[in-house]
Amino acid sequence: MTKPVLELQDLRVYFNTRRGIVKAADGINLQLYPGERFGLVGESGSGKTTTALAILRMIKPPGRIVGGRVILDNDIDLLSLTDEQMRQVRLKRIAMIPQGAMNSLNPVLRIKEQMILTMRTHGAEGSNGHMLKRVEGLLASVGLQPNVANLYPHELSGGMKQRVCIAMAISMRPQVILADEPTSALDVVVQRRIMQTLRTLQEQLGAAVILVGHDMGLMAQFVDRLGVMYGGKLVEVGTVEEIFTDPKHPYTQLLISSIPSLHRKRNFQTIPGMPLSLHEPPSGCLFHPRCPQAMAHCSQIVPREIEVTPGRKVLCLLYDEELTPAAQREVVDDTAAS
Amino acid sequence: MIGNIFYHLRTNLRLTAGLVMFSLIVLFMLLGPMMVDVRQARPLSTFPSQPPGPDYPFGTDDQGRNLFAAAVVGVPMTLRVGLIAGAVGVGVGTILGFLSGYLGGRVDTLIRGTVDTLLTVPGLVVLISIASIIREAISVEIMALVVALLAWMWPTRTIRAQVLSMREQPYVQMAKLNGVGTWEIIWRELMPNLLPYLAVSFVGSVSAAILASIGLEAIGLGPQNEPTVGMTIYWSIQFNSLIRGLWWWWGVPIFFIVFLFVSLFLISAGLDQIANPRLRRVA
Repeated sequence: MTKPVLELQDLRVYFNTRRGIVKAADGINLQLYPGERFGLVGESGSGKTTTALAILRMIKPPGRIVGGRVILDNDIDLLSLTDEQMRQVRLKRIAMIPQGAMNSLNPVLRIKEQMILTMRTHGAEGSNGHMLKRVEGLLASVGLQPNVANLYPHELSGGMKQRVCIAMAISMRPQVILADEPTSALDVVVQRRIMQTLRTLQEQLGAAVILVGHDMGLMAQFVDRLGVMYGGKLVEVGTVEEIFTDPKHPYTQLLISSIPSLHRKRNFQTIPGMPLSLHEPPSGCLFHPRCPQAMAHCSQIVPREIEVTPGRKVLCLLYDEELTPAAQREVVDDTAAS
Repeated sequence: MIGNIFYHLRTNLRLTAGLVMFSLIVLFMLLGPMMVDVRQARPLSTFPSQPPGPDYPFGTDDQGRNLFAAAVVGVPMTLRVGLIAGAVGVGVGTILGFLSGYLGGRVDTLIRGTVDTLLTVPGLVVLISIASIIREAISVEIMALVVALLAWMWPTRTIRAQVLSMREQPYVQMAKLNGVGTWEIIWRELMPNLLPYLAVSFVGSVSAAILASIGLEAIGLGPQNEPTVGMTIYWSIQFNSLIRGLWWWWGVPIFFIVFLFVSLFLISAGLDQIANPRLRRVA
């Protein structure tokens, strides 16, 4: 198999709050391969965006990246870079398409001004005329007219702004694109066109994409592999077919069965219980209070990553065939520490 | 751009009125020296205590100054004090406000603490102390710098507040995500957003500085040998012009002060309408 372009190893992001430490991302392991589209789903507060921001080292206090490694291109650990080196990585090698494109553009700068400024800070050189040509080329690649370069953000529609954000993200030909719910504020028609644009560009560039979101339909259409997050942990990873047809983790199973379908008209399936509070996480497996398949030891043992088939990982005791004494000890340590 | 300016002038009556009034003052400053011998701004150059008439449109004072000539010489000086002090104040305030608001942390604590402390000190007391110490050597420029000493605190405080709210805007976050450096974010992304506000702040600072300088001059702490507007008031107080019925003596400087302030106020209010569209009546 090819080497991953981006690898997260045991990434941990904790927030120090007055009510204690909140583990917003807790031991994320993930390999992203060149050209691949990876989806990260999970309910609100499950740590999707935190994980994406941690990759770019954009976690703000009281949040802190307390451990792990983010390895780009099998070579550099982003967490060990200086601030200036990290600044150069942003956009040039890892670009982000923001959640709310509506407010992500500076209201008093023309589109070309912001795009040229951003490109120049990454060492793009050339006369203003040359840069304008580049901007117009980028705008054309996302399906916008060249005259958009001269407009201010308030003169654009939501979909156009999102396209500008995509154009900006690909301007330095990054290896990885992080798309954080890029279409959440748009209607489905625009949504579809934007995702098609993103897909075409991503394929042209050969960039890998991490798509963060909770729209399972969008995920099914767009991504190759899917990771499901719950309570700051990546509880299941697999190809999109595997996850949709044969979900392993009970949370994923409930998540998939809660997707409404045109063919099966019935009451909405929901996941029982309250969403998780990370202020007072349950012991053992975080999902056990809501899990229909919970076993006695689920409240005591923290599940470890089990690779059920190659590339198919799940964080659930149901699949842990050898509950080793070591795993048991980890439980005790963990509860003692907290 | 040009069309934009005309649009604002047409719809923004305050700004237009303020600018027209200010242009009249500038016109007076430019044309005045051609209409009168500016040497008559010195004492003993004309007949004393003449009421306004054909020879002396603004009358003359007790010491034989032609008040028209005094105004021609003095108004630009007063305006210069205001402009220098206002520019220094807003300039320093902008730099400190940005550092404080954007960088935060210890820099912010230090700057904000200093400003908050200095704001509680009554400005006039400080100005009077300083001005009385350097009284002998005071010139228009030094006067401006003395006034500027206390003109930077409010701009610092208000610009800091603006920056604090701007730096949390998603587009600043986005610029950071795109690896734009701190200084580029400050100069290229935030500064353009703040320009209308800075303009308003500048006009406000100019008026405050003019007021402070006139206040100092009126109690005799200005440049002694220059016929600034404040000094004219000082002499008219010294010679009891109010009781003696020499109304033109105190009336002329007060007219110029009022005219200047109204024009600056209208400009400031008009700029405010541009910076804050919600204040506009006409869309």
